Amino acid sequence: MVKKTLEIYSVELSGTKDIDQTDKGDGKEKYRGLKNCFEPKKNHQKEELKKELDLDDHKLSIKELEKKYGTNIITGLSSTQAAELLAQNGPNALTPPKETPEIIKFLKQMVGGFSILLWIGAILCWIAYGIQYSMNKSSSLDNAYLGCVLALVVILTGIFAYYQEAKSTNIMATFNKMIPQQALVIRDSEKKTIPAEQLVVGDIVEIKGGDRIPADIRLLSVQGCKVDNSSLTGESEPQARSSEFTHDNALETKNIGFYSTTCLEGTATGMVINTGDRTIIGQIASLASGVGNEKTPIAIEIEHFVHIVGGVAISIGILFFIIAVSLKYHVLDSIIFLIGIIVANVPEGLLATVTVTLSLTAKRMAKKNCLVKNLEAVETLGSTSVICSDKTGTLTQNRMTVAHLWFDNQIFIADTSEDHSNQVFDQSSGTWASLSKIITLCNRAEFRPGQESVPIMKRVVVGDASETALLKFSEVILGDVMEIRKRNHKVAEIPFNSTNKFQLSIHKTDDPNDKRFLLVMKGAPERILEKCSTIMVNGQEQPLDKSTAEAFHTAYMELGGLGERVLGFCHLYLPADEFPESYSFDVDTMNFPTSNLCFVGLLSMIDPPRSTVPDAVTKCRSAGIKVIMVTGDHPITAKAIAKSVGIISANSETVEDIAKRLHIAVEQVNKRDAKAVVVTGTELKDMSPEQLDELLTNYSEIVFARTSPQQKLIIVEGCQRQNAVVAVTGDGVNDSPALKKADIGIAMGIAGSDAAKNAADMVLLDDNFASIVTGVEEGRLIFDNLKKTIAYTLTKNIAELCPFLIYIIVGLPLPIGTITILFIDLGTDIIPSIALAYEKAESDIMNRKPRHKKKDRLVNQQLAIYSYLHIGLMQAVGAFVVYFTVYAQEGFKPSILADLRVEWENGNVNDLEDSYGQQWTWYQRKYLEWTGYTAFFVGIMVQQIADVLIRKTRRNSIFQQGLFRNKVIWLGIASQIIIALILSYGLGSVTALNFTMLRPQYWFVAVPYAILIWVYDEVRKLFIRLYPGSWWDKNMYY
Amino acid sequence: MTKKEKKSFNQSLAEWKLFIYNPTTGEFLGRTAKSWGLILLFYLVFYGFLAALFSFTMWAMLQTLNDEVPKYRDQIPSPGLMVFPKPVTALEYSFSASDPESYQRYTEDLRNFLKPYDLEEQKNLTACPDRVLFVQKGPIYHACQFPLALLEACSGVDDPEFGYSRGNPCILVKMNRIIGLKPQGEPRIECISKSENTAALSTYPPNGAIDLKYFPYYGKKLHVSYLQPLVAVQVSFNASSSAVKEVTVECKIDGSPNLKNQDDRDKFLGRVVFKITARA
Repeated sequence: MVKKTLEIYSVELSGTKDIDQTDKGDGKEKYRGLKNCFEPKKNHQKEELKKELDLDDHKLSIKELEKKYGTNIITGLSSTQAAELLAQNGPNALTPPKETPEIIKFLKQMVGGFSILLWIGAILCWIAYGIQYSMNKSSSLDNAYLGCVLALVVILTGIFAYYQEAKSTNIMATFNKMIPQQALVIRDSEKKTIPAEQLVVGDIVEIKGGDRIPADIRLLSVQGCKVDNSSLTGESEPQARSSEFTHDNALETKNIGFYSTTCLEGTATGMVINTGDRTIIGQIASLASGVGNEKTPIAIEIEHFVHIVGGVAISIGILFFIIAVSLKYHVLDSIIFLIGIIVANVPEGLLATVTVTLSLTAKRMAKKNCLVKNLEAVETLGSTSVICSDKTGTLTQNRMTVAHLWFDNQIFIADTSEDHSNQVFDQSSGTWASLSKIITLCNRAEFRPGQESVPIMKRVVVGDASETALLKFSEVILGDVMEIRKRNHKVAEIPFNSTNKFQLSIHKTDDPNDKRFLLVMKGAPERILEKCSTIMVNGQEQPLDKSTAEAFHTAYMELGGLGERVLGFCHLYLPADEFPESYSFDVDTMNFPTSNLCFVGLLSMIDPPRSTVPDAVTKCRSAGIKVIMVTGDHPITAKAIAKSVGIISANSETVEDIAKRLHIAVEQVNKRDAKAVVVTGTELKDMSPEQLDELLTNYSEIVFARTSPQQKLIIVEGCQRQNAVVAVTGDGVNDSPALKKADIGIAMGIAGSDAAKNAADMVLLDDNFASIVTGVEEGRLIFDNLKKTIAYTLTKNIAELCPFLIYIIVGLPLPIGTITILFIDLGTDIIPSIALAYEKAESDIMNRKPRHKKKDRLVNQQLAIYSYLHIGLMQAVGAFVVYFTVYAQEGFKPSILADLRVEWENGNVNDLEDSYGQQWTWYQRKYLEWTGYTAFFVGIMVQQIADVLIRKTRRNSIFQQGLFRNKVIWLGIASQIIIALILSYGLGSVTALNFTMLRPQYWFVAVPYAILIWVYDEVRKLFIRLYPGSWWDKNMYY
Repeated sequence: MTKKEKKSFNQSLAEWKLFIYNPTTGEFLGRTAKSWGLILLFYLVFYGFLAALFSFTMWAMLQTLNDEVPKYRDQIPSPGLMVFPKPVTALEYSFSASDPESYQRYTEDLRNFLKPYDLEEQKNLTACPDRVLFVQKGPIYHACQFPLALLEACSGVDDPEFGYSRGNPCILVKMNRIIGLKPQGEPRIECISKSENTAALSTYPPNGAIDLKYFPYYGKKLHVSYLQPLVAVQVSFNASSSAVKEVTVECKIDGSPNLKNQDDRDKFLGRVVFKITARA
């Protein structure tokens, strides 16, 4: 299956072109195949896919094309032909993916998670009410109300979750936005402007600078046309187009213009060869929407947690339903018990709390330049174990910068940091003076005017990348370059071209006493050296002998080996007698010398790593995260950057390095000795998935170079096969499948295309790799803190559940009502549980391994047991003490409470005797019961204060963590107390809420138990710290 | 796909088996015998401690209580009214005068209830002064006599069937005991028939009066053999009415400003409504 998948991607790689109009059926077949690429497929289909690889519109001559598409490049299609084709192939637009209707999404929220349990509870309530009503028309509405309250809780939390989900946008939206509105087409020998949607295969279209290309077109005639293919291939430089076939690969050849890319300059005429979904971009779009969004790890964890809690709720519920029935309880009563047990067991507020917690972290991350689109992705970054990172722009600054200089037989290092502030190389030599002059003068790049206040490195420059680098370099060192150029008036110039491989200009010098012209030249080093007969050393010209030439070669190789682009510089002062001031230079006839020049130096440039990246990579490494570089760049450059940022660490070698060091053939090297490896796209293409797996497991430092962006998808899948949680960075449209496939897709905010941003779960606003590390840290913290939140929330479930169990078995008057439980779950507990999200890390979370997807669960056995059976039980005991106190002090001693339930609840018994001989009416008892609810509620609340405090840490003492460092916790505690006070004293008279005004002293009855909880947990943590790895540690650390 | 699932099912079965008992490590349900032992010991100690702590706090709490009087009485400021005999379900009495079986339960109930009110039983009780509160300082608290004769026709002395056999049943109305309650004014039970013409009501003692001498009540422990004052209501159906006679009676405490008889929520606070159905 995996193999098939690979083949499908390779379809993408070679750029499937041209679906013949007669071949429409196959086309459809293919797209279905792409969408379901993970399903087993029949063989013949596979072959069809392969056949389509042979499509070769870019190879065909114009005559052949005309024949194939039944068109004429002068007259175009006829209107009738076009209409027929349009009817046959459909409009030239991307099919939007089948969207889940909003109502379905909404309903999904309504039945997801705990909702289904609560619905069951609500329905049971209504059934119970129905039965009661049918037996007694005047029966109390309590159960009907409770059903409504439960339904309301589900609906409100559902709306909340739906709202959160609705925020994340649809990937197809931007693909649609990219569709050009109008196209200039030749039909019936006339130029017409038609909506681009109506284009058909065979149409002849004209495009000009600024247009978006309306479909995939084969270019027929071109005038200086350049296109921006960055959204498709990731190449950021403008690509020249021509009508000639230049490359076998459709993506690389110059005579194809791709749908949705932009024409930057020039004009062109082309024939439409693919429309709509059959265009390259259409295929990627369908591939991206075909790649299922993987469930985020936190979603899996929460599902796991819901299963645990739901399982406990249902099994206890059913168990006690059976017990109740066998204790001869009425079935109706048993149903009501069941509802109580469900409500007590389900942490109604928890999922909303988790959402809020995640969005708080998302906000925090946004401040640190990580914009999270999909809330759950917040945590995913924390569990990431592999990062597949782009090179350009993410690891590097995305601009050419002068890195090294070579003159006076010496290599100098230039400062490549973001602001260039610290140039430390020796600038006293005469050679440097000459070299700097050449750099300044032999350069056509210019700053755009009006940027005087902008820092030099941030100014906008008109010119290509290398010239820009040189301009900025010289501006930083020498000051106002434009002024220097003005003083050295340029009299002639030959711009760089690919045949000459050099650039030359002739200037008057700024020395008024020197009437000579200065000829400066730069270009490919070997070309420059050929033209030289002397070399400048320490400001003096010396003949260029063999040893200096050798020194040049060594330096050239060394700089080239660093993956840098090397340029040579030379000059010549033209003798004043031969070239007087009035001499007229002619660049066409070259009436000036271009040989026997004086070689001055070399200068090498690289897109340097961002200064924060090496540190970030080290952090990733210590955090157990493998950083894999995936780049389209040259292997040498990729390796150099990987080395300089630490992706390949200083002391590890590739197989090739070892071979070189030992002077043996690459094949003889023991592959196990190498820790690092550089794999090119071509090698990757020939690898089986098994080989890729082996590669990914055997090497700890991997660089993929020359990869086509679609190969990223294969790499991502390879990593995921190793059970890794994979983060992928990307910026192009072509990256969107990989971004979607990744556990967390990270798009670049500045360089990224909209499609990439849409496919991604997270957008890096500053395109900086270091921001990912901050994200990882936040993600890990939130995982820890969610554990604390859940432990906190689960604890009181036992204190809410025990009353029901005891009520059923012992027959006490009900200690806590269902509504009261809801007030704890959705009232007092909410803010403290959110406050735990603000807790700081207990130790350096960046020093531990990423969590194991399957082993390090959010809710593990220890957490559940400790919360339920230790703290939860203590809380239950404490709350019962408050309950018994209230009843005893009002006249019902614990001894007579047992088995009192039936009489207590009988509305016809209005003279129930208490322990003192007093008699109570039903309503008086009911009021006492509500006082009991309030007392139990307060008991739980007081102990939950202790609970939230102990949950601040899992291992350290609270005093180590700092009791007051997290102020929000105290806000949460205050909210807890205030809500409880309002419920008791403010709303105590609203009978429907079942709260009464509680005597002040009852608020303190549970305090000793709260203190006990604190002490107990401190002891637990102390033993964990004292005896790591012991039985205690294993059983008590969650 | 199916093949894979099957495999994983077999795998999980094997995993389960291994989980239940792992022969290599000797683990049973994921723990070794030693680990189980430690766990059980731990919980024994932990829960033992919790139980002890609970018992201790409960004991300490009970020490704060007074044996004679509950600490607070705020939740029962005013007494409820209740009728006797206790009907089976709701407050509906139904009997047939001609069928002794149908009312035997009621009369037996009444006889049992009135046993403490026997002259013999009341011998040792105090004859208290009428129409004043019988406030006592202790340490011995006396109970006042409640002569059965006050109930006249419903005393069961003359008519052991309490009027049921004649179709004029007696119902006793009593006020809930509340420790320390001192009614003001001259409390009396007033009963009215809601269906006016079907039956006439007579109350004993006359006017349904409740003598103040029975108040205040000092609690079960101190006020031994305290007798609650009673009021009897006898329903006399009109001869003219049909074979099945029905009457709904509402009784209220009246004449005492501090005894409430109107509460929206508590239908038994100072009042009681019951229905009598008598067949021929």
